[in-house]
Amino acid sequence: MRPDFYVLSWNDLLVSLLFIAFSLFLIKKWKLGLENTLLVGTLRTFVQLTLMGYVLTWFFDQQHWAFMLMLLFLMILIASYEGTRRQKNAIPHFFPAMLVALLGSALLILGTILLFILDVEPWFSPYAAIPIGGMIIGNGLNSTALTANRFVGELKHREKEIETLLALGATPKLAVYDAMKASIHAALIPNINAMMTVGLVQLPGVMTGQILAGIDPIIAVRYQIMIMYMWFTTATLANMIMLAIVYRQYFTSRLQLRLELLRENKG
Amino acid sequence: MSYIISFCDCVIYTWSMENSTLFQFEDVQLDVEGKHILQGLDFSINKGEFVAVIGASGAGKSSLLRMFNALASPSSGRITFRGNDIDSDVQSLRRNVGILFQNPVVFEGTVRENLLIAGRWDQTISQTLDHEILAALDQVGLINIELTHHARDLSGGEQQRLALARTLLNHPQVLLLDEPTSSLDPKLAREIMDQVEELREALNLTVIAVSHDHLLMRRYAKRVIILSEGKIIGDGDFHTLDKSHAFEDAGLLKNEVNNAT
Repeated sequence: MRPDFYVLSWNDLLVSLLFIAFSLFLIKKWKLGLENTLLVGTLRTFVQLTLMGYVLTWFFDQQHWAFMLMLLFLMILIASYEGTRRQKNAIPHFFPAMLVALLGSALLILGTILLFILDVEPWFSPYAAIPIGGMIIGNGLNSTALTANRFVGELKHREKEIETLLALGATPKLAVYDAMKASIHAALIPNINAMMTVGLVQLPGVMTGQILAGIDPIIAVRYQIMIMYMWFTTATLANMIMLAIVYRQYFTSRLQLRLELLRENKG
Repeated sequence: MSYIISFCDCVIYTWSMENSTLFQFEDVQLDVEGKHILQGLDFSINKGEFVAVIGASGAGKSSLLRMFNALASPSSGRITFRGNDIDSDVQSLRRNVGILFQNPVVFEGTVRENLLIAGRWDQTISQTLDHEILAALDQVGLINIELTHHARDLSGGEQQRLALARTLLNHPQVLLLDEPTSSLDPKLAREIMDQVEELREALNLTVIAVSHDHLLMRRYAKRVIILSEGKIIGDGDFHTLDKSHAFEDAGLLKNEVNNAT
């Protein structure tokens, strides 16, 4: 018999702390020296998500499009900040680049899903917009942060190639084309691989969550398919917008590669 | 009457002098991270010249060379190419002013793909026919080479020639050489420089070559610019400068100079 609902109580959650206790035991046994970090991580997970739960409940109760857009924008701001912080290299104007990339891809993809795929009524219903928007922004953040790091690595590695192409008369865009291609490939291949193996090797989190919450697996699977397509498009679009802004920072108006940027690292 | 003729001569002479000036440097200075790399550069390069830029390492030779095709720009001063600001049309400047780097860049792919890489943005290059490619390879002494050969499998000297042929397909007027033979053995270095000299004559090229090896350069260049700590301390023909102390002042050994002359 299919259960209608599994409700997770606070007591149940306390029991799940046994997982952490077990990890602590293993870490101590192997003398990995990660105990304090793990304890802080455990506490932060609890506090952040609990607070988020209350904040979301409050927002969901507001039922106003302005609140929903504000929350989405706040999520994008935090994601852009986090993406900038994760860079090993000081990329000029990276924060606005992330902001534009995430805003652009989130608006387009979330808008399409809310208006044309799910036909959410009203369109700003936070029950759909916030979790889906969160997935789009989160995936866009992870992908662009990795791509940007890889792109700067490619620029450093291909400095001579890029100058050779410039010297032959190439525009900066064409001179860095191979570097952009390599970094976008590196970002998208894991996404494509996930699409190849999904359902065979692992069951994705969203689907698992929905099934646990009592949704018919057939419906849960449909959601998951939409999410996989959405993820791929988000990664593609956000990376392209971000790179189109970032590559320009590495050239002067006289079409010169800014070598000083390739020499310096974040302090 | 004679006054009129000499006036005309003077006008024609002035016109032809102006017309033959390719590059004009006016009080050019280059600072990088607060350090003066080059300063007070005032000189011109005329069409058809073979100019060697000589100096010890760190004298600013390569930085100077990179200014001729606007891969670097002066911090102050002005450079003109054929009378126009050098950065007025950077892309067309770079097609006119080819450069051969110390270590040639050979891209992943075949010999043909390497030669036609500029075809990505230049239709005239992408439409180059095989016999034109082979002619360019012949010009640089790369004969009996398959166009489908993997370019990165070529030897160091062959890769340098391939890079030279790739530059020639742009039909440049000027060829910049940045220590192009320093990673090659002396015999191979001479062969490449002989090839460059032949090309200069055949195609009426202007060649500006940066090198620390003035013994090699004096075989080819009629004019030498000696750089020391970012300043020009000698500009003229080798013979005249040998009589000055410019080579020694630039940190180049006197014995070497004497042995070579």
